[in-house]
Amino acid sequence: MSTHGSIRSKRMLYKTIVYLVCTFLAILSIFPFWIMFMNATRSTYEIQQSSIGLVPSKYFMSNWKILTGKAFSPMTGFINSMTVSVGVTVLAVYFSSLTAYALMAYSWKLRQAFFSFIMAIMMIPAQLSSIGFYQFIYRIGMTNKFTPLIVPAIASPAMVFFMRQYLMAALPLEIVDSARIDGSREFATFNRIILPIMKPALATQAIFSFVGSWNNLFIPLILLTNKKKYTMPIMVSLLRGDIYKTEYGSVYLGLSLTVLPLFVIYFMLAKYIIAGVALGALKE
Amino acid sequence: MRKKSVSYAKYGYIFSIPFVVTFLVFSLYPIIYTLVIGFTNLRGLGVKEFHFLRTSEGNLDLFGNFRTVLNNKTFTTSLKNTIILWTANFIPQISMALLLTAWFTNRNFKVKGQGAYKILIYMPNIITAATIAILFNSLFGYPKGPVNDLLMKLHIIDGPRNFSLQRWTARGIVSFIQFWMWYGNTMIVLIAGVLGINPSLFEAAEIDGATPTQIFFRVTLPLLRTILLYVLVTSMIGGLQMFDIPKLFLNGGPDQATVTSSMFIHDQAFSGSYLYNRASAASIIVFGIIIVLSIILFQVLKDKDEVARRKYRRAQNRAARKGVNA
Amino acid sequence: MAKRVRTITLVLLVAVLGVSLFAGGQTEATTAKKKVINVWSFTDEVPKMIDRYKELHPEFDYEIKTTIIATTDGAYQPALDQALIGGGADAPDIYAAEAAFVLKYTQGDAKQYAATYKELGIDVDRLVKEADIAQYTIDIGSNERGLVALGYQATGGAFIYRRSIAKAVWGTDDPQVIKTKIGPGLDKFFQAAEALKKKGYAIVSGDGDLWHAVENSSDKGWVVDGKLYLDPKREAFIDHSKRLMDNGYHNDTQDWTDAWFADMKGANPKQAFGFFGPAWLINYVMAGNSGGSKIGEGTYGDWAVCEPPIGFFWGGTWVLANRDSKVKDAVAELIQWITLDSSETGLQYYWANGTLFGAGGTKDSVASGTVMGKSDGSLDFLGGQDMFEAFVPAGAFATGKNLTQYDETINSTWRAQVREYTAGNKTRAQAIADFKRMVFETLDIPSN
Repeated sequence: MSTHGSIRSKRMLYKTIVYLVCTFLAILSIFPFWIMFMNATRSTYEIQQSSIGLVPSKYFMSNWKILTGKAFSPMTGFINSMTVSVGVTVLAVYFSSLTAYALMAYSWKLRQAFFSFIMAIMMIPAQLSSIGFYQFIYRIGMTNKFTPLIVPAIASPAMVFFMRQYLMAALPLEIVDSARIDGSREFATFNRIILPIMKPALATQAIFSFVGSWNNLFIPLILLTNKKKYTMPIMVSLLRGDIYKTEYGSVYLGLSLTVLPLFVIYFMLAKYIIAGVALGALKE
Repeated sequence: MRKKSVSYAKYGYIFSIPFVVTFLVFSLYPIIYTLVIGFTNLRGLGVKEFHFLRTSEGNLDLFGNFRTVLNNKTFTTSLKNTIILWTANFIPQISMALLLTAWFTNRNFKVKGQGAYKILIYMPNIITAATIAILFNSLFGYPKGPVNDLLMKLHIIDGPRNFSLQRWTARGIVSFIQFWMWYGNTMIVLIAGVLGINPSLFEAAEIDGATPTQIFFRVTLPLLRTILLYVLVTSMIGGLQMFDIPKLFLNGGPDQATVTSSMFIHDQAFSGSYLYNRASAASIIVFGIIIVLSIILFQVLKDKDEVARRKYRRAQNRAARKGVNA
Repeated sequence: MAKRVRTITLVLLVAVLGVSLFAGGQTEATTAKKKVINVWSFTDEVPKMIDRYKELHPEFDYEIKTTIIATTDGAYQPALDQALIGGGADAPDIYAAEAAFVLKYTQGDAKQYAATYKELGIDVDRLVKEADIAQYTIDIGSNERGLVALGYQATGGAFIYRRSIAKAVWGTDDPQVIKTKIGPGLDKFFQAAEALKKKGYAIVSGDGDLWHAVENSSDKGWVVDGKLYLDPKREAFIDHSKRLMDNGYHNDTQDWTDAWFADMKGANPKQAFGFFGPAWLINYVMAGNSGGSKIGEGTYGDWAVCEPPIGFFWGGTWVLANRDSKVKDAVAELIQWITLDSSETGLQYYWANGTLFGAGGTKDSVASGTVMGKSDGSLDFLGGQDMFEAFVPAGAFATGKNLTQYDETINSTWRAQVREYTAGNKTRAQAIADFKRMVFETLDIPSN
């Protein structure tokens, strides 16, 4: 009886700790967003006097006016950002899976060499190759086009690496073989059998890639100089650009607007990570 | 299996084409350019002509920039800082992520509202580094700021402290920000990895009477090995290229306590003198370090599955060949 | 079946995306008929002026394509550099540069791209005299080929102080008297600091306030003949900073942080007497942070400006033209209107009186002394004082001969080391030695 009780109290303790820790971490996560949303309703001078405000103020509308009065046009920015981020995400996720599948499912002579090569380019420090990249894009006249921001995503070494690792753990090669016996062609096997198995991996990487691309500032800032092509982070960065009179209230409002679509995307994709299904194909 | 044995190897090549072509078109030139200028005298803005380094006697001196960089105390400091900052954020990051993964994938006890928790815990990762840096700067503001106010109210300190002048506090804050921005990301990767594991393996372990802790350590972790390798390697690469937070938070201060190697590279190239050649040499050195560390990681967490797979394929090929011969 | 549909959708999505990408670029080429002027700036200030010029001069038939990139993320210079180096149809015709990096474009690594105002066909010599442009602006904007850049704003600095505190300490708030209490020279300044301390006030908010003045009052810049030069006046800053700290003459704030802004409102327990700053600091920073918008609210109206103990300038925007511009005449017309037109229809007259976009705008000090002479600079924030009284002479005290393209980096390195010393983390000699080492290691500028 007593051992039963101690097990139960242990369980209670375990549950309490789990909920306490998770709740604490959740609050810690909400905190910066809370500050950001609150500051979006405060005036620049309120923010300068104390940057951390926990309660809303009454300057939302005036911040909105400043925001839209400057170079910020939420719709244009949203569409441009969406185009780039969706493009990057779709290309990166699809082609990385395909490349990883090539590395995983087939034995070909250059396979190990190709994998080592992908790993090596993943390790090249990004800092400096950017110089060569700008020069190259300027030279071929691709500034103010979304292509140089989107298409390079086809070659995303880190994502290939992840997909490969995931497939190694999750994909028994017997599935591929049985598909072949059923007469499925290789490309169709990949699209119809392998991709669904990879759903949690695809969703995870899609989120990361979307967030990364959505928040990407520096490369677009240098390559997109035409107002009509500005992405949302570029617009926010412009709000901060006025060195003598930065309108912090509208900067925070701009930041808040920028982050909202990310929530939506995340909620949409998160169910594949949370639900823990998608393994139907694995029932051999 | 009376069909003729088909070689599928060509699909390996075909499916790799998009990656390779894109890489060749967009990345090859920048990368080669970077690699080459490390051995040249290229510095200054808009300079188009450059040549390989030579000594005063006219002999080739390809590694001149590398010598300069290795003798640069700021560079060695930045390497040391990078390693300190990475270790201090990675160990808590992976531990916390593993713990949360264990909790959220525990089949005996479903955490209620775990969907919400998972979303919230990942959230710090979607906010931009610049916003986070501003936020922490204000939190640790001096002479007045929330942290100072709080510590004074609790009588832990009796006057305001200038945290941004304390080397280890600054490092601690940078590491904490890195930890906090990335543990949710790592957790999601790990959970995705667990979801990829065949559930029947867990069921089998449960039938054998294993406790959740045993299952986690004996079943989940070993099967997560490939994903763990990914987490280790990518976070090491990310860590050795840490840039945003240390740059934006205190710009490498105080007294270079949070200068990272990526900041060093950036500053060589962009802080006024355009020392592109040295920046490139430093990149190559960092690249070398990353490669060595990655090879070690690959050796330690050896791709056992890869070996197993190779065996499986070889056996199949043999069987197929036999089939043809027969 | 469902899966096939999904695959097809995916393929379609990719295809559509690809097509839209490559098609996207084409639509623009068709509008290139009209003559285009490319304007690059880091704020919307200059572009807005040009828009206004077009409104005022309908016959000016050019399309303006503006590119604004903020300096805050460090991308303006790399982008501008690429665009200048790249040339072609998208190359900037007019570009703006800020005090922190203007030297690079006028006298430094990127000077070869700038057209001299003479090459543009502007009668510089006559107009500069007519407009009475402060010498420091000209010095910064000139290289061996001639004048390539001028500004529209005057950023010569004054000392901006609290009237009530002046009365409490010296019995008067008259700028003519106060300027003799705090200066000339820093010895007087520290005497004043002592007097203020006795009554429980700080003379400035932090050492950064003093730095702007000290930096610009030095005789030479950071780099002389390719070597790092620590000007005695700049070196002395380390002692000034220590003195401010050890005696409690300031609140030990850092510029642009909450505590610094709080001193504008008088919200710190020890009130700060004044700030070193140009007109823009008053208009864009202090007025809003004073805690009011009418005389009597917060510290609004409790301020006055007087001559600073040492002359300096802080910030400012310079306007340059590209040597390869295909529309030099139009560029010249705009640049002349912005930087050298001292008439009542010139930009600067509107700017000084706050009437560019209609009455009641923010008044600012401008590059042309002539314009300020005929403008009304009285501000409620200064209790009705005419700010041009202090800012017209301020331009003459400032010098433009001690700047380098490395200033941003070297200044922050120096101030960080000064802070290490004043905080007691290292010795004075060590701080200076470390400073020299860091400059050498980051910029390859040797000390000796």
